[in-house]
Amino acid sequence: MARTIWVMLAAVLLLCSGMAAAVTVRDSDGVHHFARPPQRVVALSWESAEQLLELGITPLAVADADDYRQWVVRPTLPPATLPAGGRLEPNLELLASLKPDLIIISPSLLDMRPQLARIAPVLYFDAYRHDHDNAQVARDIYLQLAGLFGRRALAERRLAALEQGFAKLRGRLQQHFGAQLPRVDVVRFASPAVVYLYGSNSMPLHALQRLGIAGTPQPAASIWGVTQQKVVQLGSLRHSVVLYQQPFEQAGKLFATPLWQAMPFVAQQRFAAVRSTWSYGGIFSLYYLAEAMTDALLTLDRQSIVSGTR
Amino acid sequence: MQSVLKLAARPQGWSRRYPLALLAMLLLALWHSQIGNPLPAATQWALLTRAPADFAELQWWHASLPRLAMALLVGAALGFSGSLLQQLTQNRLVSPMTLGASAGAWLGLVCASIWLPALAAEHSEWPALAGAMLAVLLALAIAGVRGIGGLPLVLGGMALNLLLGALASAIVMLHDQYSRNLFLWGAGDLTQNDWHWVLWLLPRLAPMLLLLWLAPRPLTLLRLGASGAQGRGLRLWPSMLLLLLAALWLSSVAIAAVGLIGFIGLLTPNFARLLGARGARDELAFSALLGALLLLATDALAVLASSYSVELVPSGAAAALIGAPALLWFTRRQSAGSGQQNLSLAPAARPLSRRGWGLLLAGLLALVLVSLTLAPGTHGWQLAWPDALIWSFRWPRTLAAVAGGAALALAGVILQRLLRNPLASPDILGLSAGATLALLAATLWLGRPLQQGGAPLAFGGSMLVLGLLLWLGRRQQYAPGMMALVGISLAALLEAVLQFALARGTADSFAILGWLAGSTYRVSGQQALLLAGGALLLAVPVLCGQRALTLLAIGDGVAQGRGLHLARNRLAWLTLVALLTALVTSVLGPVGFLGLLAPHIAAMLGARRVLPQLLLAALLGSVLLLVADWLGRVLIFPLQVPVGILASVLCGGYFILLLLAQRVRRGRA
Repeated sequence: MARTIWVMLAAVLLLCSGMAAAVTVRDSDGVHHFARPPQRVVALSWESAEQLLELGITPLAVADADDYRQWVVRPTLPPATLPAGGRLEPNLELLASLKPDLIIISPSLLDMRPQLARIAPVLYFDAYRHDHDNAQVARDIYLQLAGLFGRRALAERRLAALEQGFAKLRGRLQQHFGAQLPRVDVVRFASPAVVYLYGSNSMPLHALQRLGIAGTPQPAASIWGVTQQKVVQLGSLRHSVVLYQQPFEQAGKLFATPLWQAMPFVAQQRFAAVRSTWSYGGIFSLYYLAEAMTDALLTLDRQSIVSGTR
Repeated sequence: MQSVLKLAARPQGWSRRYPLALLAMLLLALWHSQIGNPLPAATQWALLTRAPADFAELQWWHASLPRLAMALLVGAALGFSGSLLQQLTQNRLVSPMTLGASAGAWLGLVCASIWLPALAAEHSEWPALAGAMLAVLLALAIAGVRGIGGLPLVLGGMALNLLLGALASAIVMLHDQYSRNLFLWGAGDLTQNDWHWVLWLLPRLAPMLLLLWLAPRPLTLLRLGASGAQGRGLRLWPSMLLLLLAALWLSSVAIAAVGLIGFIGLLTPNFARLLGARGARDELAFSALLGALLLLATDALAVLASSYSVELVPSGAAAALIGAPALLWFTRRQSAGSGQQNLSLAPAARPLSRRGWGLLLAGLLALVLVSLTLAPGTHGWQLAWPDALIWSFRWPRTLAAVAGGAALALAGVILQRLLRNPLASPDILGLSAGATLALLAATLWLGRPLQQGGAPLAFGGSMLVLGLLLWLGRRQQYAPGMMALVGISLAALLEAVLQFALARGTADSFAILGWLAGSTYRVSGQQALLLAGGALLLAVPVLCGQRALTLLAIGDGVAQGRGLHLARNRLAWLTLVALLTALVTSVLGPVGFLGLLAPHIAAMLGARRVLPQLLLAALLGSVLLLVADWLGRVLIFPLQVPVGILASVLCGGYFILLLLAQRVRRGRA
């Protein structure tokens, strides 16, 4: 009996080692086979660049690398990573000269796939859609990439650490607000007249959910999970904490107006600024978002929140 | 002269006109303030005397009412400014929009918000005014003293409009993230959060009252003509300059307060005259009143549309959606400004020699070679014959640029000869805008992927415009003024749809803007071959029929005398132009100014007759677009500047310079 088990185990091990020679990865189109993990990777979307960096892989080149360093910031893009042109029009000739062995794209470059495929194998990840769970998909993509680069164990470890990180943040929040955390809505200003409300499928809301916080229940129709609204419509948010994402250059102009001061969440001091954090990233961007939002929430006074949101 | 004086002396029916307009305004204002308003009338009435208490009351007091006031103020300012400009220039087609002043103001604000953010935040009216003045001065300089009253001023303004708009887009695209807010601002929206902007605008519009008192005398005298006015002791230039400045000031502060809102300034003075306003003061006052009325009405529709759908409809877009058809209707009713003042660049004295042709051809070949072999890389510049992979990326772009440039140049020559109008070109007549509009609309409302070739759609769009031109033009024998107005209307309509798309503010905004910039980046080998084949195919009938074009260009009488069927010939040529334009637009996106400039340079190089001009212009068009494409690839490597924007800025800038140089030379002579 014991012998049979040993033989079977050995067979399984053999099978696994045979498969390891040819790695498989599933992108939004289907399964692709690679003879060995790619070494020279180009990321033409920022969320894929993020996912790679979180796997400890430095991309050879990233589209709009300089803007990434300014807007996404975390995780840090090493200075050695080259700019690969724009995210909508990456420089094909430059890419060809870099001789990559993998190019990762998002839907905005899907029509350029035939051209890109002449340079290197292309993986296509449709990370943001309104009809799937964006956080779940970000996690799946992370694990797929981990499998491709043979870093599955590292990925599992990091994902577990991520959960612990969320638990720690939740603990800090509960210490401040008590066991029952307030409801939160997240917005970003486009101008003093127009605001984007993050819907339930957006990354900030997924981050809130990880913290055990309820937010806007409706999903947004746009793929990025935001709904455009007039600023005055925010007056209908009567019982929640409202967080807004920086930067908003015209904050001074809007926040001084009597109408803004009369917003229920402003009048009752349930309004705080979240430091600039990229909200269209990979799975670990959830943590950066959660951290920034926790810091913002902790600036609020407990008493006014507890009385106002119940 | 007698009739002018009589008309000036007695306003018609003002005793009924003003009360009726005021009544309409009152009713509209009431309606405007009630859209999406939950408060009962009694509460609203009470709020006029007591402070608002809850949020709904505050919203009414601090958002609804200021918006109403803003619509009235801005509408009045635009109407007044338009009337002042039209009376000054004695030109019914003039307005801040058609003079390029709006685009200039917009460019000024874009520049200020990027390079002088502190100034832009506090005193946005000054950069706007500076931009508007620059644009109008350029337009005036281009048109010259004799052209002010006619079409040259409008066409010059239109060209400036396109050029300055392209410049602003180029700047925004190169600084994308920093000026995100500009999009919504550019959409021209009247949304208010408090009384700040109303109180800001109110004192700045005060000159209107002063002008209403002082301006009528010089304006009335101007109607007598410059010499007559001077004879009556009017110092002409100082007062004209002052009035012009005042008109620009009014539209600049309006633009600084709410963004671009077109058409009001152009339409209201014409409506005012249509309804019987005569006399300088009557026209000014009634235009201001009608402007307020018109903007109030369109803004009410924008508010209504925004409250019933999830989309936010900017007021400026609503104004253009209503204004463009209104302008077309107006064009049909009255024959628009005619007159064929000369506004051409002097052709060269001698025809191009055989050696000249050889040099030009060699130049084109050399440029093709350079664009294929010289490129920056990660280790600096490299001059090398591309390997198979690089070649597969480069040849479609090169071929598309060469073929597209030639096709646009051909279209330009045909239009300029056919309409006997040196400023005719596919973009100024709105054919490109029609193709673009069709593609954009299909993307927005039918969900068609933006970057996929839509040749049938583009063709449908430009054929629609062509049909419109033909339908409108039949009555007026295809008067250039009418043609230009259609172009202006369509360009503004495109702008409106674009504003609406950008106001959605999604990540698609940049994709749309990038595509509208006109790019060879996404041209596949198949598309490039299609474009080249199509251009060649269309060139055959063009070259075969050049004799007919020569006759049509000389004059209708000559053409008919030689046995040409005028209408049928015109239709055939215009269809060819629409086909050429649609072909290029569907593959490259809109590319401005090339079709305008190439025929002129060809003429300047010595191509006087139709056939050499066609050939030379096609050659030059290829060279120009090729150079623009190559520059776009290398200027900000590894990023790229879209070829359409680069071509517009380069060709447009060069064209304006040519016109100015011409003016200066003529002024000296």
